[in-house]
Amino acid sequence: MIRLDGVSRVFGAGPSRVPALTDVTFGVDKGEFVVLTGASGAGKTTLLRLLYRDERPTEGAIEVAGFDLRAMRRRDVPRLRRSIGVVFQDAKLLAGRTVFENVAFVLRVLGTPRREITPRAFAALKAVGLTARAQADPHQLSQGEAQRASLARAIVKSPALLIADEPTGNLDEDMAEEILAIVKDFWTRGTTVLFATHQSKLVTLLKRRTLRLEHGLLVKDEG
Amino acid sequence: MLSFLLNEAFRDLRRAGRVGVSAILLIALSLAALGGFWLLSLNLGRAVAQWRDRVRIVAYLRDEVPPGQVDDLLGRIEGVGGIQRVRYVSKNEALQVVKRALGRQADVADQLPRNPLPASVEVTPDPAHATPDGNRELVQRLAALPEVDDVQGGAHWVEGLAQFQRLFQLVGLGVGAVLALAAILTVTTATTLVLHLRRDEMEIMRLVGATESVIRLPRVLQGLAQGLFAGTLALAVLEVAFALVAPRLELLLPVTLGLSRAVFLSIPQMLALIGGGATLGAMGGLLATRQAAA
Repeated sequence: MIRLDGVSRVFGAGPSRVPALTDVTFGVDKGEFVVLTGASGAGKTTLLRLLYRDERPTEGAIEVAGFDLRAMRRRDVPRLRRSIGVVFQDAKLLAGRTVFENVAFVLRVLGTPRREITPRAFAALKAVGLTARAQADPHQLSQGEAQRASLARAIVKSPALLIADEPTGNLDEDMAEEILAIVKDFWTRGTTVLFATHQSKLVTLLKRRTLRLEHGLLVKDEG
Repeated sequence: MLSFLLNEAFRDLRRAGRVGVSAILLIALSLAALGGFWLLSLNLGRAVAQWRDRVRIVAYLRDEVPPGQVDDLLGRIEGVGGIQRVRYVSKNEALQVVKRALGRQADVADQLPRNPLPASVEVTPDPAHATPDGNRELVQRLAALPEVDDVQGGAHWVEGLAQFQRLFQLVGLGVGAVLALAAILTVTTATTLVLHLRRDEMEIMRLVGATESVIRLPRVLQGLAQGLFAGTLALAVLEVAFALVAPRLELLLPVTLGLSRAVFLSIPQMLALIGGGATLGAMGGLLATRQAAA
């Protein structure tokens, strides 16, 4: 599903050169649940952005869901992203649209047949336990609910890969565990998951294969 | 998908607010100005065409031609080429014309020992020769005929009117082009504002795998809708202005331009005006999305 080979990403040039990632190599098989950890600024977000082609590597090769990201043309990026669901620390729900409309928005934008939109959106909301809040506005949601809505939006298109960039970063322990449970549920249904967190408690709780980054270097790959 | 794109476009129209309304008004203004110049140019053109048809050259003859030989003479004159119609005017007919012009003093002409007026041939040039150069050429050919003593007349003043019409068209195009550019830039600004307001949505759209055309098309459609509305508004303004002004010109037109009445734009021309508005609007929307992508 994911293959990185000698990947480096450097920002800037000359004296202001900042190596965000250096010579990172690893693979993630289909159906795996992998935790990506490291302190803030270790390079987790940069690595994840490389995977959905929001950044390009300075060196090295990347393959995701069968796409060669280095050789990929800009116009092919949407095809890659349709197979990836992304969740961030900030839920990024759209104001002026209800929870249901936020989830359905993804399907509309991708040209899903009209008759499929409502059932699929409600199925995604049910999977995250938010059907009762479908007509709520984003500002009416708690942080945990907002993050669940964000998860529903990420999985409504049935992605092969779910990338979660610190989705529990703004949540308390109980809410974080709720989110984790939902993500694990997606994983058990066959979605490959790459879960980034700096919280060591969560890493311990998850008991999954763990990749550890320190100053842009992959220092540990265990589990 | 089409209904989604249209919904998004109309959502953007509402979001554009006052800037969007300004864009519509500016496009309408430029189209109304263009349309106004077009209307005036159209009617001037009708006057030019009409007067070109009335241009006459008069070839004065050395001697009056006997009635039996008039047709031969007219045939030789037509033979020089570039002539639409010819008409023989005898000395007597010429005198009658002068007497009619003199009115109550007509009996003055009767005091003359003999009719001093020459016989002549009135020549109407064909459209190709109803121009100053064409006229000059025709006059030279007619003057070369042995029967012809002198040649007068021409299309110089009509050509002056035609030149004025062409200049008017150019000025109209120039003014219209400047206004159109301003209109495009205003639509671009309105669309850029909407893009700024929608940046979160566009980020999500890109993240979930929407193509650039799905992201851009609603903005282009927004501009197109603004332009269509503006074109219709401009046309309405022109129609109202025409309805108010045209009746007041009905007395002046026959005397100044020789036209019985002014005419409004034809249906294809009206559609072209509205289509022009839609094009301006769509161009503004496209420009904004390209700037945003860059």
